[in-house]
Amino acid sequence: MTQPQSKNPPADPPLTTATSAVGDERGLSKKGLSAGSVGLIGAIIIGISCIAPAYTLTAALGPTVSEVGVQVPAIILVGFIPMLLVAFGYRELNRRMPDSGTSFTWATRAFGPWIGWMAGWGLVAATILVLSNLAGIAVDFLFLLISQVAGTPELAELAHNPVINVVTCLVFMLAATWVSYRDMQTTQKLQYWLVGFQILVLVLFSVVALAEVANGNAFDATPIDWSWFNPFAVESFSAFAAGLSLSIFIFWGWDVTLTMNEETRGSEKTPGRAATITVGVIVALYLLISVSLISFAGVGEGEFGLGNPDIQDNVFFALAGPVLGPLAVLVSIAVLTSSASSLQSTFVSPARTLLAMGHYGALPEKFARVSPRFFTPGYATIVSSIAASVFYAVMRFLSENVLWDTITALGMMICFYYGITAFACVWFFRKQWFHSVREFFFTLLFPLVGGVILGVLFFTTLIDSMDPDYGSGSSVFGVGLVFVLGMVVLLAGVGVMIWQRVRRPAFFRGETLSRASAD
Amino acid sequence: MARNTDELRIVVGYTADDSGADALALGARIAAATEGRLEVVLVLPIEARGGVVPPDPGYERLVKERGRGWLAEASASIGDDIAQALHIRYAESFAEGLTAAAHEFGAALIVVGAARGGLLGRVRIGSVANELLHSSDVPVALAPAGSRDVRLGQGITRVTAAVGTRPGAQRLIEASVALARASHAPVRLVSLVPIDLPSGLDAELAHLTSTAHAEEVLDSARAALPAGVQASAQVATGDSVEDAVKALDWHAGELVLVGSSRLASGHRLFLGSTAAKMLRELPVPMIVVPRTRG
Repeated sequence: MTQPQSKNPPADPPLTTATSAVGDERGLSKKGLSAGSVGLIGAIIIGISCIAPAYTLTAALGPTVSEVGVQVPAIILVGFIPMLLVAFGYRELNRRMPDSGTSFTWATRAFGPWIGWMAGWGLVAATILVLSNLAGIAVDFLFLLISQVAGTPELAELAHNPVINVVTCLVFMLAATWVSYRDMQTTQKLQYWLVGFQILVLVLFSVVALAEVANGNAFDATPIDWSWFNPFAVESFSAFAAGLSLSIFIFWGWDVTLTMNEETRGSEKTPGRAATITVGVIVALYLLISVSLISFAGVGEGEFGLGNPDIQDNVFFALAGPVLGPLAVLVSIAVLTSSASSLQSTFVSPARTLLAMGHYGALPEKFARVSPRFFTPGYATIVSSIAASVFYAVMRFLSENVLWDTITALGMMICFYYGITAFACVWFFRKQWFHSVREFFFTLLFPLVGGVILGVLFFTTLIDSMDPDYGSGSSVFGVGLVFVLGMVVLLAGVGVMIWQRVRRPAFFRGETLSRASAD
Repeated sequence: MARNTDELRIVVGYTADDSGADALALGARIAAATEGRLEVVLVLPIEARGGVVPPDPGYERLVKERGRGWLAEASASIGDDIAQALHIRYAESFAEGLTAAAHEFGAALIVVGAARGGLLGRVRIGSVANELLHSSDVPVALAPAGSRDVRLGQGITRVTAAVGTRPGAQRLIEASVALARASHAPVRLVSLVPIDLPSGLDAELAHLTSTAHAEEVLDSARAALPAGVQASAQVATGDSVEDAVKALDWHAGELVLVGSSRLASGHRLFLGSTAAKMLRELPVPMIVVPRTRG
């Protein structure tokens, strides 16, 4: 006898869940009763490995230098502000409407199906962009690691062969999909070591770079100056905006520590503490590395200069050897492990959003499939992986500086969907704004200011990127590649949305997920 | 062997796929034959177990809801005639969750689907069943692929205890007798004698010696049977364990019980090499019983 697959199970199946079947008085371990909880250290570790500082910096430092020169430290400090403001809104929404669709669900609730759909699309597009970038960085470092171990520098050059590069990248993607589909997570203990190792290597990298500067062995010794920390020293608003949208990317992922509210063990303060410590560690690392590398290599266009377009999309790749000599292999390992963890945690988010979109009928029902064996969004995971792989392969042949351009486009996408999320928070809680001082700040002021900043960044980047010289300087039909990328992604979203409107009108009529507000 | 002597409690490790359907069907068949009670358990992973993916209460809720739906469908597929309860449990692993559930319910048996891509209905132990075999202190029934197609009314027509060639299978005998009593099925004692000799030795003599040894083991097993229980006994020979298994006749509704390996630690299960070889050839479900009393 087979039951028809139905999305909504029959009401009240004869079921005892753990919570109702047994109480604590039976002395049963708490493990069986809920999905578990994360302690303070666990939350910090998850936060740091989501941000993946080693990967993030090697990918973002070059493009940021190309925009704002030596003022990278200032941009890092300022970039944190909109992220923090939006994260507050994210936390409020997550507390009120925990849902695997996050931005998609929240924006739909606040602004209706069309905007909600595009927010979901923005999130999925951003994570797919970062997946392809992550895999690309991992490929570079894999070949670097092999060449370091084998002692033959020519091997590292293999990473520049587009065919070898794309094939290796696809193998990485396949492995990451496999791991995500089967939900094979590294244990917390192993992750402690990996994160600890990553931080130690980054600190070592910076300290050695500074020591080399002091010893006069630096490539282009640049004296550290207070103006590096002054955001007003950036030449133009365009550069400032571009730098900021990149620094949004470097803090992306941090918000998870702030939203792990239901799961964290201990007092109510645990998530806040975890988020504070995480961001403290991250900001300290970012400042240390950016200051030391600028001081070591300068921002000129020389061989190892951070302004050299040939090394900008992956600066650790170029600088690990000159700074650390034989120890450079540690940097390769750190970036590889950092990318691997990040690849896994990043995979989860487009898959879960696609799943939620399938669940609410905004996409075909296939997307809502949960693997009965591994309890992961199986179909959505595979679709995300294919999209990221195709995207990477196409981009690699289209642009030499694929990594760089994806990072810039990525910053734009994050601004897009985070901005919508921030506004969704403001609008959803509109009846509660003045209930208390706390509500005023967390549901109105903070997310509103954050959303406006992100909105300005989004439009400024969009307009500036039309210039063919923008970013890495790649262009298509005389228009900057970053602009083309952003527009193609967003317009494709509009196209798919209209197609889904025709195929699945129920969602767009608000029948599956209705507009609402908190009251 | 049940804690409550009147009712056999059976934990089914359910997943909403073919393997889970096999386990459910076998569990239901045993429950129907023994008038026992099914505890259908869906084990969900503890999300926070890893150090990489941030836990997400929204997704967790969705999976739990989906799990409820799966269990409701499973329940509908076995009908109302069998006493049953449905449960969702969280655990680090499937095996851990099932063992904990078996303890919680005082279950005498855990049923899981054994097959993951086994060929032609034969059993190849999947990672889940394998993990359970390494950790459970409760007997584990491995439902071969295709168990889901066996009629519920097939019942249990015979209970076979594979007593091996070494003495010391007290718990195995007890479990077999209890199961046979509950299901009103006859007991058969079997000793497998693989004769795998280097050439040059006197095959005839070797055959005689091992067979005689097997008879002794069977005799001691028979002596261990509680008074009043009748059991048939058979020695199966062959060039290998697989051949010996093939040499025996098997009922469609038969269950085979084997003891776990002597190498297993404590009261735990661990499939010995003979049992593993048997599993490859057996056309019927196998139940692995921990060697010592738990």
